[in-house]
Amino acid sequence: MESHEQQFLILNEPMIVGAMISIVVGALSILLGLTYFKKWGYLWREWITTVDHKKIGVMYILVALVMLFRGGVDALLMRGQTAMPENGLLDAQHYNEIFTTHGVIMILFMAMPFIIGLINVVTPLQIGARDVAFPRLNSVSFWLFAAGAGLFNISFIIGGSPDAGWSAYFPLASLEFSPTVGNNYYSLSLQIAGLGTLMTGINFVVTILKMRAPGMTLMKMPMFTWSVLITNVIIVFAFPVLTVALALMTMDRQFGTKFFAMQDGGMDMLWANLFWVWGHPEVYIVILPAFGIFSEIISTFARKNLYGYKSMVVSMVAISLLSFVVWAHHFYTMGHGVMVNSIFSITTMAIAVPTGVKIFNWLLTLHKGKISFTTPMLYSLAFIPIFTIGGVTGVMLAMASADYQYHNTMFLVAHFHYVLIPGTVFAVIAGFHFWFPKVFGFRLNEKLGKLAFWFITISFNVAFFPLFILGLNGMTRRMYTYSESTGYGPLNMLSFIGAVGLGIGFIILVYNLYWSIRYSPRDETGDPWDARSLEWATHSPVPVYNFARVPKIKELDAFWFAKKNNQPLSDGPYEPIHMPSNSGMPFLMSGAFFAAGFCAVFSWWIPAIVFTIAIFVFMALRSFEQDHGYYISVEEIERTERELGGDKE
Amino acid sequence: MKIDESLPLEYSTEENRLKILGFWIFLGAEIALFSTLFAVYFALENRFGTGPSAQEIFHMPPVMIETILLLTSSFTIGLGIHAMRLGLKKAMMTFFVITLVLGLGFLGVEIYEFVTYVNEGATIQTSAFLSSLMTLLGTHGLHVTFGLFWGTSILLQVRKRGLTPQTANKSFIFSLYWHFLDVVWIFIFSFVYLKGLMVL
Amino acid sequence: MMKQLFPKQHVMGFVFSLVLSVVALSVLAFDMSYKMGMAILLVTAIAQASVQLLLFMHIGESEDKKTLYTNIIYALFVGVVTILGTLLTMIWGYQ
Repeated sequence: MESHEQQFLILNEPMIVGAMISIVVGALSILLGLTYFKKWGYLWREWITTVDHKKIGVMYILVALVMLFRGGVDALLMRGQTAMPENGLLDAQHYNEIFTTHGVIMILFMAMPFIIGLINVVTPLQIGARDVAFPRLNSVSFWLFAAGAGLFNISFIIGGSPDAGWSAYFPLASLEFSPTVGNNYYSLSLQIAGLGTLMTGINFVVTILKMRAPGMTLMKMPMFTWSVLITNVIIVFAFPVLTVALALMTMDRQFGTKFFAMQDGGMDMLWANLFWVWGHPEVYIVILPAFGIFSEIISTFARKNLYGYKSMVVSMVAISLLSFVVWAHHFYTMGHGVMVNSIFSITTMAIAVPTGVKIFNWLLTLHKGKISFTTPMLYSLAFIPIFTIGGVTGVMLAMASADYQYHNTMFLVAHFHYVLIPGTVFAVIAGFHFWFPKVFGFRLNEKLGKLAFWFITISFNVAFFPLFILGLNGMTRRMYTYSESTGYGPLNMLSFIGAVGLGIGFIILVYNLYWSIRYSPRDETGDPWDARSLEWATHSPVPVYNFARVPKIKELDAFWFAKKNNQPLSDGPYEPIHMPSNSGMPFLMSGAFFAAGFCAVFSWWIPAIVFTIAIFVFMALRSFEQDHGYYISVEEIERTERELGGDKE
Repeated sequence: MKIDESLPLEYSTEENRLKILGFWIFLGAEIALFSTLFAVYFALENRFGTGPSAQEIFHMPPVMIETILLLTSSFTIGLGIHAMRLGLKKAMMTFFVITLVLGLGFLGVEIYEFVTYVNEGATIQTSAFLSSLMTLLGTHGLHVTFGLFWGTSILLQVRKRGLTPQTANKSFIFSLYWHFLDVVWIFIFSFVYLKGLMVL
Repeated sequence: MMKQLFPKQHVMGFVFSLVLSVVALSVLAFDMSYKMGMAILLVTAIAQASVQLLLFMHIGESEDKKTLYTNIIYALFVGVVTILGTLLTMIWGYQ
């Protein structure tokens, strides 16, 4: 502990100093590169100020990939430390910080933005819209998320990382037991990113409810769009709880309130309660879009319409409601009585029912399908059995009395990785491969894609299956080392080998990105997979206005039937298209958020207040601004369509 | 920008309709936010440690003044929107000004109430009960404060630009916000003050 | 002019909300059980909220009214679950 007490720059850890130097060198080389190649103007005009949902989506995914590697390095360090008994790679404090940042980053700064990125890219295209309902707000959402992610990530070099676990339970996260600024970073950076997420939620609910192409009723929407709608509904109602919880944490730590204190009437378990009131719906926020992605991919590559469309929708609605009534299963062992545990045990098991319905729907979609084994399809097929293992172990954990054995052991760690990796990570990678040609106009290399798939899938099981056994043998989570006599050594070593394999798999994935950008043949059709939903009806890469003419929809999978029956989805002359204008304000306002958050972390209140006022000034400027967007003329549409290879629909 | 003449100005464009729906959904999120604050308050209301209890610090007279001020302001902003729909810019602005003045009055009484608590030795750091009470009231008070600035900026825009689809849309959305704050206050009035003072 | 500026619906709503506040105040004026008091508070508060929603906020006037009602009901579901669930796990069911 002493070594970490209140220093501004962390200079006594060689590993962190090394990271610090590489970050500075990396940042400098990017800045120099941008200047040398004169790309500043391009970056500002085309990306930083953009309100185009496709570009915002790409930026989300880019940040998510960077965070995947940050969180992945954390994971490798953890598995490396525990690979052998009495290992000295990390000390206890450093280990605490690493498992905390690994959890926070993987859930909130990797899984969430990866999914929100795919949502951004795909959803407006799938419903035949020109953009989201509030394009400017969408840009604000992204930049707030980026500000939050940035703030969280600088913690490990400036001031110290949070060290109380990703769930930051009190009293461990209180000022008394976590005296560094680490948990201030936690509460403030998640607060800023969470605001952005809430805005995304509102934006997409309105987009899906109000901006669908004519004829597309709710029950004719693609399954991914349905999952996005439900997910964003959950975001809207769950994130305010996190907002409150984090605000109370900030107040307890920095203003001396007594919400979670050990004296003066405070209630430490109230934090755990609030955290999971948000936290459990959060699990479904990252898994439901994954279900949507798998539904699209499985139906596309089985060349069949999705089995049980209605039951899929009903089960997602059921999951969205049930997700709000199961949270106490995260703390069965922490003091409430039999009645509470029984209630939450039953609701938790009930949630397995709609999930099971979905598994059977996917299996029946595959049944008698003409399956083509593309990379996205491989991930989807691997998902089903692996996720089922995660689900079944989840039901084991759901039994409150049995949970007294599993609680806080590696069994739990294995369980949630078995749910989140095949569920969310496989889904976003599958979606990444699937929709990549839509955004960039060429496919990722299939051979490299499949190689990465086998590396990732096999290594995943090698890394995490041993943890089930270790957990049942009594190894608890979050312990930084163990003695040889426990016998945990060999399985932990095996798990470390799997973790390294996973790392190699992700490196192949990124290498594939590089290789495909250089060598992959361009796709001229706009529909390289012979797919079913509307996003494939337009050009790849998609022009800024998405669809030259708004398609008219008569049925589910309208594009598929239009292809088969050779009937265009729309006709008639082009009309001028109204588009929103770009703006630098969201970026600058998020800069103010970042600065205010950073100052607040160190309780520098005067600059924090100044920057907060700046935020409100930006809001006022926006309010007085008169900007009605611009029109794309018919001639320009004609020219663009010609350049992209002719009229599409 | 297509303007639909058959609808009131605030609904007349597609963009306006999107914004109104978006704001309603935001209000849904606000319901979740205040529910969480109420949940925290209810969990902690009897945990006052060595500090004062609710019975000892609550006084009804200022609370009644606050309630009447806010209820009336909710009424006047409703009249403002009604006047706006009749195209009466001046009447609309007058009702908005009255609303904001009443809101300012509410805020003044609330600040007085907080100062009284602090003078009685009941600060936000005294006990979990007071932390949760002052956070709940403070969050509502901050919303009112933000509303005062927001409402003023909209008034300035209406004065300068007249009643256009944009200004009417903003005014209507602001009225939704203001009514919502009144709803939250009703719950605070009932389940914080009245419940706290009820003789058990 | 006065009639035009003060529509009956709004005036009635305002009077109604004042009356409801006074009724709520009665829990302090009369000696009654805790349950009875809470029942009165619940009824008056929900009635007041409905007055605001229906008469002042015009929730039922737009083409999206189904969405708006669903939104409010969902929010109330989450709100009630959060409040009662927190009380259940932290107070009533805590050993």
